[in-house]
Amino acid sequence: MTGAVAVAGGEAVPGAALELRAEGVCKSYGATVALEHADIALQAGEVHALLGENGAGKSTLVRILTGAVTPDAGRMYLHGAAYTPHSITDARAVEVATAFQELSLVPNLSVAQNLLLPRLASSRSGLISRADVLAKGREILLRHDLERIDPAAEVARLPLSDRQRIEIARAAENAGRVLILDEPSASLAETDWLFAQVENAKARGVAILYISHRLAEVRAICSVATVLRNGRSIATVDLDDASDGDIFEMMVGHRVDPARPAARSTSGPREARVAVTDIAGSELNGVSFDLNAGEVLGVAALEGQGQRELFRCLAGVQKPEAGEIRIDGRPASYRSPRQALRFGSGVSYLPEERKTEGILAGLSAATNVVLPFLPRISRAGMVGQGREVSAAQDAANAVEMNPRYLTFPIGELSGGNQQKALMARTLASGAKTLLLFDPTRGVDVGTKESIYAAISAFADEGGSVLFYSSELPEIVQLADRCLVLYGGRVFESFSGEDINEQRLVAAMIGHHDATGQEATR
Amino acid sequence: MSEVLPNEASTSPAPVMGSLLRQLTQGAGLIVILYVALYAIYGYLQPRALEPYAIAALMNNTAPLALAAAGQTFVVLSRGFDLSLAGVISICNVTLAVVPIEGPGGAALSVLLCLAIGASVGAVNGFLVAYLRLQSIAATLATMIICQGIALVILNAPGGFVAEWIVYEMTDRLWGLVPVSGLVVLSVVALWLMLRRTDFGVAIYAVGADEQAASLSGVNVRRVRFGAFVGAGLLYGLAGFMLSAQTATGNPNSGTPLLLLTFAAVALGGTSLAGGRGGLFASVIGAATLTLLQKVLFSTGVSSFYTGIFQGAVLILAVVFSTAISRIGEEK
Amino acid sequence: MANNNPLAETTFVQSGDTRRSAKISRETISAIAVAVLCVVLLLGARFVSPSLGSWSQVETVLILGSFLVVLSFGQGLVILSGGLDLSLPAMITLGGILATNWIGSSDPGAWYLLPIVLLVCAGVGFLTALGIVILRVPPFIMSLAMSIIVSSALLGYTKGTPRGAAPEMAIALMKGSVFGLPAPILFTIGFVILGWLIQSRSIFGRYLYAIGTNVEAARIAGVPVFTAQVLPYVLSATCAGLVGIMLVGYSNGATLRMGDDYLLPSIAAVVIGGSSILGGRGTFLGTVGGALLLTTLGTIISAIGLEFGLRTIIEGAIVLTALLLLREELFQKLGSLWK
Repeated sequence: MTGAVAVAGGEAVPGAALELRAEGVCKSYGATVALEHADIALQAGEVHALLGENGAGKSTLVRILTGAVTPDAGRMYLHGAAYTPHSITDARAVEVATAFQELSLVPNLSVAQNLLLPRLASSRSGLISRADVLAKGREILLRHDLERIDPAAEVARLPLSDRQRIEIARAAENAGRVLILDEPSASLAETDWLFAQVENAKARGVAILYISHRLAEVRAICSVATVLRNGRSIATVDLDDASDGDIFEMMVGHRVDPARPAARSTSGPREARVAVTDIAGSELNGVSFDLNAGEVLGVAALEGQGQRELFRCLAGVQKPEAGEIRIDGRPASYRSPRQALRFGSGVSYLPEERKTEGILAGLSAATNVVLPFLPRISRAGMVGQGREVSAAQDAANAVEMNPRYLTFPIGELSGGNQQKALMARTLASGAKTLLLFDPTRGVDVGTKESIYAAISAFADEGGSVLFYSSELPEIVQLADRCLVLYGGRVFESFSGEDINEQRLVAAMIGHHDATGQEATR
Repeated sequence: MSEVLPNEASTSPAPVMGSLLRQLTQGAGLIVILYVALYAIYGYLQPRALEPYAIAALMNNTAPLALAAAGQTFVVLSRGFDLSLAGVISICNVTLAVVPIEGPGGAALSVLLCLAIGASVGAVNGFLVAYLRLQSIAATLATMIICQGIALVILNAPGGFVAEWIVYEMTDRLWGLVPVSGLVVLSVVALWLMLRRTDFGVAIYAVGADEQAASLSGVNVRRVRFGAFVGAGLLYGLAGFMLSAQTATGNPNSGTPLLLLTFAAVALGGTSLAGGRGGLFASVIGAATLTLLQKVLFSTGVSSFYTGIFQGAVLILAVVFSTAISRIGEEK
Repeated sequence: MANNNPLAETTFVQSGDTRRSAKISRETISAIAVAVLCVVLLLGARFVSPSLGSWSQVETVLILGSFLVVLSFGQGLVILSGGLDLSLPAMITLGGILATNWIGSSDPGAWYLLPIVLLVCAGVGFLTALGIVILRVPPFIMSLAMSIIVSSALLGYTKGTPRGAAPEMAIALMKGSVFGLPAPILFTIGFVILGWLIQSRSIFGRYLYAIGTNVEAARIAGVPVFTAQVLPYVLSATCAGLVGIMLVGYSNGATLRMGDDYLLPSIAAVVIGGSSILGGRGTFLGTVGGALLLTTLGTIISAIGLEFGLRTIIEGAIVLTALLLLREELFQKLGSLWK
C-alpha cells in the first residue's frame, strides 16, 4: 500500500478520497527523539482522531503536517502529490490549516486583522482599508456563528474561550482540504459550537484531524483514530470497533481498569482549616465556605464563574476586594504566594497556566520542585544540584514521576511530566492546604492516576485540598464535598453520595436540581 | 491600539471620553501635549523663540536625533534593539566630509550614498538577527564596533568639509518660513503613515507582540525582521546626512552621542521597549522634546553642569506618567 | 507509595524516552569554548610578534581584565534577572571621584571611608532598582536616566575638574604583590570564586534564574521577587563603584569620563560568555571568559600596533565571530554528536 500510492504521484489514485498521507515521518531535536516513526492517512469528509499520552509525539506530528517543522525523514502526500511544506504559509497555500493548541492569535491586533493575517491589504493598492478589513472579518465571524464577537475588538481583551473560537474559525476558513484541530476544546465549556464547525467542514469534504484528550468527545465526533505511543504510530482503528479499554491499552501499552474507587467516607466533625467569608472581587460576588483538615473539596463551574479569582485570592496572588479569609482561625494577612506558604499551616498553589504561571523552563525539574523551600534544604545559603535532587526525590516519588527526569531542564519534559513536577512542588512545600487549579489539565491517563493517588494520600494524612477541575468525573471520584460556582457565587454545594455528574451539570448552568432543596437560595 | 488601527476609537461606539483617553494614552497624544507645553514655556522665556529662524534652528538641531529615533522605532516595534546607528551615522558623516560633492546633483548623490550605507548595514544586522538568530542587542553591538572602526579608517580625526550646497540648503527655510529639515522629517512621518497601512506595517506590530503567534498566523517573521532592520538603516543614513548638513564637518565619533538618546526618545514617545506597541511619529516628537528640553534648561539659566539631572528626571517622570495614564486607560 | 500503583511503575519501564540529561550543559561548553579561544589567541599572538604570548603579557591581560571581570559580574546578575544596567559608566566615575575626593592620598588612616564610598554606590543602585520595581520604568530607561543624573551631579560636584589623588589602599590593591604574585590577580581569582558561588550555588542565584525566566511563575512558586529584583542592581552599582576605585588605584586619579569605555564591553562580556540577554540563562564563569577574551583581544591588537580604526574593526569582527560560534544551533549539533 505504501509503495503503490507513493509511485502513483498525480495519477488516478486507488481511493481518490485520500487527502493527506504521511509515511514514516520522524523528527529529533538534538539528542531528543520527538517522533520516531509515524504513519497517518486522512480521508476527505472524515474526522480522524489522533490519540496518545503526553510526550507521545502528537504535537510534533501536528507541527510537521502543518509545515511549522520539517521532518528529518519520511514522505507526505496531499491528494497523491508530494507534500513538503517548509512553512505555515506553504501549507496554507495548499489549503491545509491548523488551529493550534497554544493559540496563534496576535494579541495586539484586532479580531478582524487576526482572521485575515498575513494578507490584509487589497491587491490593487497594496494598502489596507480599515472598513474593508472589518467587513471581511465580520463576514468570516458570521459564517462561523460568531457574529456576537466584535471584529474590531483587540484580541488580548477577549476571554480565552473566544480566542479559542476565533483560532478555530480562522483555521476552518483557511482549510479547503485539511483541517487540523489540536486540543480545540481545551478552553471551551461546551462542544456544541465546535462540533457544528467540524460538521460544517466535514460536509465541505475537508479531511479533519482531531486531537483531544477527552475520549468521550473523540467518540462523539470522530470515526477513525490513530494512536501514537512513544513517538510511533501504534495502530489506526475504527472507533466503532474499539472499546475504551482497547484504546487505553494502545496508548499506554497495557489495559487500564476503568473502575474507579468510590469517594472516601467523610465523617466526624473536623476543625475548619480555611474559612472563607463573603469574599468578593471583579468576578466574585460573595463566596463563603469552610475547608476542613483531611478534606478534599471540589469546585465545579463553567469557565469564567470566578473560580480563577477565588484561587488567586486564596493563594495570595491577588487581594479580594471584600470579605475575609481565615487560615487556622487567624485572618489571612498574606499578600504574596510566598507569605501564603509560610502563613499558619501554609497554603500552596498549583496555578492554572502551566507554561506561563507554572514551570520555569530553563531550570531543572529538581530546582522547579524545591524552589518554594530552598532555604530549608540549603547550607549557609548555598545549594547544589545534588542537594536539590535528593530533596525533590520524595515528592517526585509521591506523584510517580521518574526521578531520572529531575536533572532535565523542565522545559524539555513532556507536558505530563511538567505537571507532575509542579504537583510535586505543591506537595513538597510542606503546606497543609493545597489549592489545585485543574491539576490534570491536558495530561494523559497514567499521569492522572498518579496525581489522583497523591491527592488522596495527602488528604488521608490530614491535609486539606481545594481543587477546581474542568472534568466532572474527576470531581465525582475525588471530592468529599463539592461547591458549584455560578455567577461568582456558590450556587449549590453537594457532599458525599450526592455528587454526581448530572447534578453538577445542572447546577453549573444555573438550574437547581429538582430533587435538591429549592431553599438554598 | 490607535497606532495599529488609526481610527479605532472614532468608529467604535465606546463613550467619547474613554476613546479620547485611549487616543491620548496609546498614540502620540501625550508626548505631543508635553512638547507643546514645553514649547510654551520656551516661548515665554525666550520671546524670540517663535520667530522663523529660531524655529528653523531648533528643527535643524532636532532632525538628526528625530530621524535616528524613527529608525530605532522600527527595530523596537519588532522587539529588538539596534545599537548600530552610532556607527552608521558616523560613517555617513565622515564619508560626506571626505568626499564632498557640490551642487544639487551632488546632494542627491550624497543622500543616495548615505541611504545605501544605512541599508547595507541594516541588511547585515537583519541577516544576523533574523536568519542567524543572534540576539539583536549583541549582533548590533558587533556591527556598531565594526562601523565605528570603518568610520575611523575613513577619517581618523575630526576634520574635512561637507559640501556647501548641502550645508546651506538643508538647513535653510523655504520661502523664508518652512525649515527644510522639518520637511525632511515630515516626509518620513508621512511615509511611515503609509507603511503602517500595508501588510508589512501590520506584520511589524504582530512580530513585536508575539513572534510565535505571528509566524503561526502565516506572517514571514524573518522577512519582517529583516525589513525592519533595513528600514531602520535607511533612516540612520538619512540622519547621518542631516547631521552632516548641520555640523558641516566630519567626526568619526559623531554618531555615538545619539545612541542612548534614541532609546530615550523612543521611550519618551511611549513605544514599548518590549515590542508591538507605539509608533514612529511619537518617537520623532520624543526626540524633539529631548532637544527642546536642553534649550529650555539653557534659557532658564540652570548651570550647564546640572542639565543632565533635569533630563534624567524628565525621562523617568514621562515614562512613569505615560504608563500610569495608560493603566487608567486600560481599566476604562 | 510508588508501589501501590503498578500502572505508573510499568509506564516508566515501557517508556521509550531514552534521553539522558546532558552531562555537560550548554553554559559549560560556551565557558570552555571562550577560555580555549583566549589561550589560542595568546599563543597565536607569538607568531605575530615574539614579544607577545609571554607570561608578562598574561599578567597584563589578567590585571587589565580584572576591571571588566568585576564590572560584568554585576551586569551579569542584572541581565540574569531580566534587566539591563546602563548606569555603570556613571557609577564607575562616582566610585572613582568619591574615592579621590573623600579619601585622597593624604590620610592613610581614612581607609574606613572606602566601604562608605561603596555604600553610596549601592544606595544609588537601590534607587535605580526602586524605579524599576516600584515605578515600573523599563530597566533600560531607568538606568539610562540614572546614569545621566549621576554624571550631571558629578560634573556639578567637581565643577568639571576632579581633584584628589588615589587612596593608598586602592594603589596597594592594584599595584601591590603577595607572595610574588600581583595583588590584582589574586583579588580577581578570589572575586571569581565568590561570584561563581553567588550566581551558581546560592539560593539568591537560583532566585535570579527563576525571575529572569518568568517573574509571574517565580512569584507563584514563592520566590521573594522584590528582593531578587532589587539586589542585582545594588550589587551591580557596588561592583561598578569598586571598579572605579580600582581604576583610580591603577591610574592614580579619577576623571569624569573614566567609566565611558566600559559600558558596552560589560554587556559584550556577558553575552559572549553565553548568557541570554533576555535573562534566565548564563554562568559567571562564561562571563569571566568573555571579559578575558575581550581584554586579550584589546591588548594583542594594541600590541600589534595597527591603526586605531583597523583595530576597532578587528575587535568588532571577533566579537561577531564569537557570537556566531556560540549560537544555539551549534550546541544542538554538538549535542547530537554526543549521542
